[in-house]
Amino acid sequence: MLRIRDASVTFPASDGQEVHALDHVSLDIAPDSIVVAVGASGCGKSTLLNAIAGFLPLSEGSITLDGKEIVAPGGDRGVVFQKDTLLPWANVLDNVALGLKYRGVPRGERHERSRRLLELVGLADFAEKPPYELSGGMRQRVGIARALATDPKILLMDEPFGALDSLTRETMQQLLASVWAKTGKQILFITHSIEEALTLGTTIVVMSPRPGRIVARFDVDFVREFAESGDIGPIQSHPRFIELRQEIRSLIHQPEGARTGTLQ
Amino acid sequence: MTLAANSGTSFSSTANRATSRRRRSASTSTLAISLVTLAALIALWFLAAHFEWASPLFLPSPAEVLTQFSAVWVDGYANGTLLEHTLASLGRIAAALSVGVFLGIPLGLLMGLNRWVKGIFSVPIDLYWGLPPLAYLPLLIIWLGIGETSKIVLLSLSTFAPICFAAQAGVRSVPVERINAALSLGASRLQLFTSIILPSALPEIMTGLKIAIGAGLSTLVAAELIAAQSGLGYMIMSAANFLATDVVFVGLIVIAVLAFAFTSGMRWLEHRLIPWKGKI
Repeated sequence: MLRIRDASVTFPASDGQEVHALDHVSLDIAPDSIVVAVGASGCGKSTLLNAIAGFLPLSEGSITLDGKEIVAPGGDRGVVFQKDTLLPWANVLDNVALGLKYRGVPRGERHERSRRLLELVGLADFAEKPPYELSGGMRQRVGIARALATDPKILLMDEPFGALDSLTRETMQQLLASVWAKTGKQILFITHSIEEALTLGTTIVVMSPRPGRIVARFDVDFVREFAESGDIGPIQSHPRFIELRQEIRSLIHQPEGARTGTLQ
Repeated sequence: MTLAANSGTSFSSTANRATSRRRRSASTSTLAISLVTLAALIALWFLAAHFEWASPLFLPSPAEVLTQFSAVWVDGYANGTLLEHTLASLGRIAAALSVGVFLGIPLGLLMGLNRWVKGIFSVPIDLYWGLPPLAYLPLLIIWLGIGETSKIVLLSLSTFAPICFAAQAGVRSVPVERINAALSLGASRLQLFTSIILPSALPEIMTGLKIAIGAGLSTLVAAELIAAQSGLGYMIMSAANFLATDVVFVGLIVIAVLAFAFTSGMRWLEHRLIPWKGKI
């Protein structure tokens, strides 16, 4: 269980004032759930993820994972970045095995486990390739396999499909839904796409900028159906899906003044 | 060729194959053009010497240079054979490059990693790196004598700075996402350094090494022209004092060949060590 309590992050801005990138955000991420944070740019959704990952410190509040306070990056939280961060000098298999190598897992075992993960993401045939010979979507799949290899408690995904074309993106969403159904990992997923949020989330938190806050929260269940059928069409034409999409869109596009006081 | 390599960021493997094919054909076509240019230059030299466009005293014929080459190779010139002079020069540059690599890389890496180390060392290095090496050669000779030590110290100073700066820049150029990714995979500080920072800095370090070789070579010859009893620069200077232009030509050609060999060797090394350069 990941617990976020009154988390705030403030940066000094160039004009001397403070930017409240994250303002008293509280959120729980339970095992077996996909929490999707959606919002316009600057709403603090990436700040939230970076704080959970331990890349930047909180100004106030606390984040705990299974009761342990988060103070620095660590292997118990797997991160998938928007930009691929694979090592160009290592082949795909060694990239997936990197976290296991850091833990001192012997070579044979870490390769075996990494091969199984490459099978899970459908890249078993590309184990020996250097990452720069792979397409953008394939690299992100390697990134997911790498993050899963160390069996982290939670997977943090920062707009992982944002740079992909829409067809590849759909394939990747399918892949993520099926990986989630198979592994039952708790996931925090950041996106600016409302459709992606509704398709993949079990919980959707809508965030708003200046200051970065959670303005609404919805519990949905399209992802289970999606993981089973693998077909995005019927889900996206579901009346509830359309209704929620409209509601979230109006929340995101609301003028800033009207939003105060609508917390949850 | 560089342009083609830089544009090789296409994602699909078919596109990659197409890019590499284009790159290969581009490099073979430049090679042909370069060879023709070289042949034309040599032909021009033949003609100029044959029709005596300049006095043979100033422009010796290729045949004469070739004769001198074998004479200098067998009998020697200015207290040594051509091979001895070449080895003397190579020995100096090898010593200086070793110092540059073994001191410059670790110090540069440390400067990239630690604010204190950078603060302490960047001022003296910046100060002396701005000076032309030949300006402080007289001082080195006063301090260290006219022997090998002063020359090797001079050369080491000129190779050290570019390597050190490059290693420092290499550390600073590591993408922060790459570091964050490694940390969230559970890397310790040492693992972060050996598995991420060092290989990420390698392309910059190789570039620094290339600059250091260039700087070392020009400083080497200049230092030998001024103060040496052996080496290619010394041979050229001695020959020039007696207007032996053909021997000067021999020396210049050997230096050109050495420089070319260094450049090609570095390119080969880059290809072996960092095949991913420009691709990600």
